Parts: sequence; structure tokens; C-alpha cells
Amino acid sequence: MKQPLYLLAGALAFFCHAQALAQSKPDGKSLFAKNCAACHQADGRGIPGAFPALVASPVVTGAPPDAAEVLLKGRGGMPAFSGSLDDVEIAEVLTYARASWGNRAAPISGAEIEARRTALGVAPPNRSRFGNKH
Amino acid sequence: MNRSTASLTRRDFLYRAAAVGGSALLLNTMNAWGMGIASKVTAPPALSGSGKGKKVVVLGAGVAGLSAAFELRKLGYEVQVLEARSYAGGRCQTARKGFSLQELGGEAQHCRFDHSHYINHGPWRIPLDHQSTLYYTRLFDVPLEVMVNENDHAFVYLEDGGPLSKQRLRGAQIKADMRGHVAELLAKTVQGRQLDARLSADDQMLLLDYLRREGALESGDLAYKGRNGRGYAVNPGAGLAPGAGTPSDPLAFHDLLAARVGKVYSAVQDFPMHATMFQPVGGMDAIPRAFAKRLGGAIRYNAEVQRIRQDAGKVTLDVRDAVSGKLSSVQADYCLCTVPLSVLRMIDTDFSDGMKAAIKAVPYAPVGKIGLQMKRRFWEEDDHIYGGHVLTDLKGINTISLPSSGWQQKKGVLLGYYNYSLDAIEVSALTPQERIEFALAAGEKIFPGYRSHYESAFSVAWHRVKYSLGGWAEWNDAARQNAYPKLLEGEGRVLLAGEHLSYLTGWQAGAIESSWQQIERLHRRASA
Repeated sequence: MKQPLYLLAGALAFFCHAQALAQSKPDGKSLFAKNCAACHQADGRGIPGAFPALVASPVVTGAPPDAAEVLLKGRGGMPAFSGSLDDVEIAEVLTYARASWGNRAAPISGAEIEARRTALGVAPPNRSRFGNKH
Repeated sequence: MNRSTASLTRRDFLYRAAAVGGSALLLNTMNAWGMGIASKVTAPPALSGSGKGKKVVVLGAGVAGLSAAFELRKLGYEVQVLEARSYAGGRCQTARKGFSLQELGGEAQHCRFDHSHYINHGPWRIPLDHQSTLYYTRLFDVPLEVMVNENDHAFVYLEDGGPLSKQRLRGAQIKADMRGHVAELLAKTVQGRQLDARLSADDQMLLLDYLRREGALESGDLAYKGRNGRGYAVNPGAGLAPGAGTPSDPLAFHDLLAARVGKVYSAVQDFPMHATMFQPVGGMDAIPRAFAKRLGGAIRYNAEVQRIRQDAGKVTLDVRDAVSGKLSSVQADYCLCTVPLSVLRMIDTDFSDGMKAAIKAVPYAPVGKIGLQMKRRFWEEDDHIYGGHVLTDLKGINTISLPSSGWQQKKGVLLGYYNYSLDAIEVSALTPQERIEFALAAGEKIFPGYRSHYESAFSVAWHRVKYSLGGWAEWNDAARQNAYPKLLEGEGRVLLAGEHLSYLTGWQAGAIESSWQQIERLHRRASA
């Protein structure tokens, strides 16, 4: 009786592991929904007077190092994403925005983000949480 | 550095400064060191002269704008406050039955809490250090009650706590046991003569005596075997059962270390989070309401400022009525703008390019909160937690805070999450209904029955709130160095004030003290 249970547990563990792996693969669209859409909206049009549109945005569709810098360091009211997204994730989400809603800019690679992160002296992602402010 | 400079004490230096430069240099020096009178602001500035015959327009009826308007009127200025919302308070809001909020790009939420229940979804605590806020609550007779900000009987729940993961620990257990284990380690180090080179024999005896008390160590073998302050397994009581009660076993030293419990000290240990913490009875908006009552018709509501222009003689503000859409224009001699920089950067102004760049240089914090009405106060009834914060590393939750009022009533509204930065952004992408589900799924890991007790909710994501666009200014070093002095100076007839122009960002005291400082500057400019 013990053996089949073991096997079942093993199979389950493998299945869960495979699922976790599948989930951990960064996907530009879901990263965008999670990190960007709350302000810039799912259609990339933003909210006039509050959140800039990403559609036809010169920053989004411009030179990769400049686009990378906005996410790595933040800009205006937008916080930096360098602490929570790694270089591949930043590349994925930028690539998604650069090729959506009519935008037609070339993809950006994780290596390009990494190079910009190093050049700007921005610390690697650190996903720690715990606090109680104000 | 030569010896005589190195050995010059602050007192010597101040004595010499006073001798050379008189009391003004003495005070300036003390202020520069952060030890002078300017660091203890407990009342508005005592200004001489009069503002009679001069008009000041204050933009924003948040706590900064309200306190500035109140003080400027005392000086004789004609004051008009332009407020875009239909009520005063700015970010100082309280959600109770009838309160509504629609975030930009979101659906409208209507608060449906029972009568007398509320959530302060903006500022929610007043530290004893914030004498400026307390100056007005005293002046206006706003009743206060203690806000339980630190409660070691509340749970600490770590998802990523190594061997202590996913357990309902009590703050008191962690602190008592870490203290005991560390005291034991140090005491045994002393006893093993390993500190002979550092401590005299007398001091070693005194330290051992201290450690026995602080760590509750056994007097003979200096072992820590637990202390009743961490709680009993069975509390003492009457008769034979429970009788003397059953002591509890300490958590193992290694497990505590591996759980990295030191992070609990990042929460409410630091300035200005220590006791005593206050809250106004019935909701934080009692403060703006008290101001608004006194300012009466001086506040014009639904007045959305669209354009700011100034010339040598006046400031002109173009205003759109948010209800009727009607356009009008207001003129004044001076303008004190307390609008958050995140919003001001979107307004059409004739500031210099340098000033505009400074306004844009300051990031704002994404911040989210949710209030959950529970039909039974299970945290009190089942777990004996009265106020305070359940600290957790559950992603996007940070803290579950229990109400500091309505003790032992039937229902209560707790704070289901309080998130910042990227967590706040992720959670804000959810619909109100999804946010509730997110909060309940986390809370039920800590409190069984959390979900079944839930009745209604109200959530906010401050970065998506019109006229606020962020929780508070989140300065970085570069902006403090370059933009901050420029923003403090203002430009011509327009001065700025608010929590963003303080080192108390996100606190009402920052807003008030900034206003106190800036009206002094404005009055100086107007009197020149």
C-alpha cells in the first residue's frame, strides 16, 4: 500500500514543480497586467492628466537604454521597478509594450537591461518585504 | 585633524560661537546640528505685522492648506481656499457608511460599513512626537483615544521564516526567547572568562547580574528555560486545574535565528512609532472637519485649478467647477500651493523650467489599504488580541491591523493590508472585488474563519486617486539635494507647502509644519 502512495506523491511533486516552472517563465503580457496596467491601463492609453499613454510614446518606442532607464530608476510619479523585476522580466514587459496597441519597436533583451543596470549602478532585485510606515 | 580640534566638544564650540557671533550664530549652529528650537515645533510661528488688505489664495484644503489658511486669517490676510473635491481633508479621509471613492481607471466603491464603523484609509495615527498635529487637536477639542500601535500579543506570521514558517507566533514569544538565548550566550561567555580582556572583574559581576534579570536566566547554570512573559501553555487560575498553570517551552535559539526574526524590529520600534500613539475618536477626518468648520465660506469646494499665472503684481488662477464645468478666474496677491507635486506637475503653470523640473523630480509612493468589516471580533474573542498589528511577510499584505476602538463590541473593521511601492501597484491592478479576495485569502492563513466573518470592504490605491496621485512624496537623495531647496523657495508670488516639503513625509505633522514654515516666508515676502 505504501509504494503506490509514494509514487503518487512523486508524480504530484513533479507535476507541481513543472507547473511552478511554467508559471515562473516571464511573460510580457501578464507582467504588464500586474505591474503597469493599474495606471497606464490595459490598453496602454493611460489616463489624461494623471498617467501618460504608452501608445506611440517616444520613451517606450525609443532607444532601449532610455526605455530601460525609466523602469530601472523610475520617473516622475512612477517608481523604479529595479527592486522587484529582474532584467529578463523588465526586458519582457518592455518588449510587450513596444509591440502592442500599434507600437512597432524592436524587442529588448535581458542582456541590454543588465548592461544598463550595471552602467547606472542600480542594485539587483531584492524582493524583501516587511514594514509599517506612516 | 589635530588634537585640539578633535577634542573640541560641542559645548565648547557653541560657547565660542556665541562669543564671536552672538546668540543668532549660536542658534543657527544649534539648528544646523538638529538640536535647536527649530526641531521642536509645537506651535505656529509668532508673526508680527499684519496681512490686512492682502489676499492669499491657498490651493488645496488638505491638512497643509487648512492649517495655512487658518493661520493666515489670524494675521489679517483675506484668504480663499480652492479645493477640487467636494469636502476638506485632502488625503486625510475616513471611509464610513455613505463615503464613495472612484479611482482613476477603476469602478466606484461605496462604503457600506455599519454605523459607527470606519477605516482611516489615509493617515491613521498621531505620534506623541507630532506636537504640531496635537496642537490643533487640543485647540479644536478634537477628542483623541490611544491607538494601539505596538502589541506584542499580536501574531507574527512568516511565510518565509525557515523552521518557524507558517506559525502563529506572538511578538512576545519571539522577543522574550531571543533575549533569553542571547543573554544566556553572553552570560556563559563571561563565565568562561572570554571577556576578561574587555571587562573588569567587577563589571563582569554586574553584567552577569543584569543578564540574569534581563534574560530570566537560571541563577545557577545561567540557562534560559523560558519566562512567563512569553505566555503560558495553560494560564494560571483557580483551584487545582488550571491551578498554577503550565509554563510554555521557549522556541529554539537556532530556529529563531534561521527564521530571521530580527525583521520584526523594522516595524514599530523606530521614531516616531513608539507609544504613545493617538487617533481621533470616530475617524481621522475629525481634524479637517474641525478646520473646515472654522474656515466656513473661505473654502470654495469643487474648484479645480487648471492654470496658474503670475506677473509683477498678482497671481491669476483659472478654475473649473468640477460639478458644473463652469470656468472662472481668481486673482490674489499671493498663492500658497499645497497641491501634491504629483498633481501640480500636470497643471499648466508659468513656473521657470528649473522649477518645473524640480516639481517633476520628486517620486510619489504607491500605497494601498483595505478595510474589512468582520461580523465578529474573533481577534479579541478567540485570540485575545486588542489592537496592534499582525506582522507578516505575506506578499502584498505587510500588516493586518486590529481596531483600537469599539472593544468587545460585536463587529469591527480591521485593516486587511497596508502595502507600498510595487506591492501596492500589483494589488491596485485588481478590481475592488479581487482585492477583497486577495485580502481574505491571506488573512485566512492566519485567522481561521477570517473569510466566514467577512461582511464588507473598502479599499484605496492612493496612486490612482484623482487629486492625490500617490500616498506621499518619496524623496531620493538627488532630489533632496537639487529639487528640495528650489521648491522650498517657491517662485515670485507662488509658494509651496505640504508634507512633501518636510522630512516628515506622509505625516500630517509634515504638512502642518511645512505650512507654518511657508506662511512665515510668505508673510516676510508680503511685508517686504
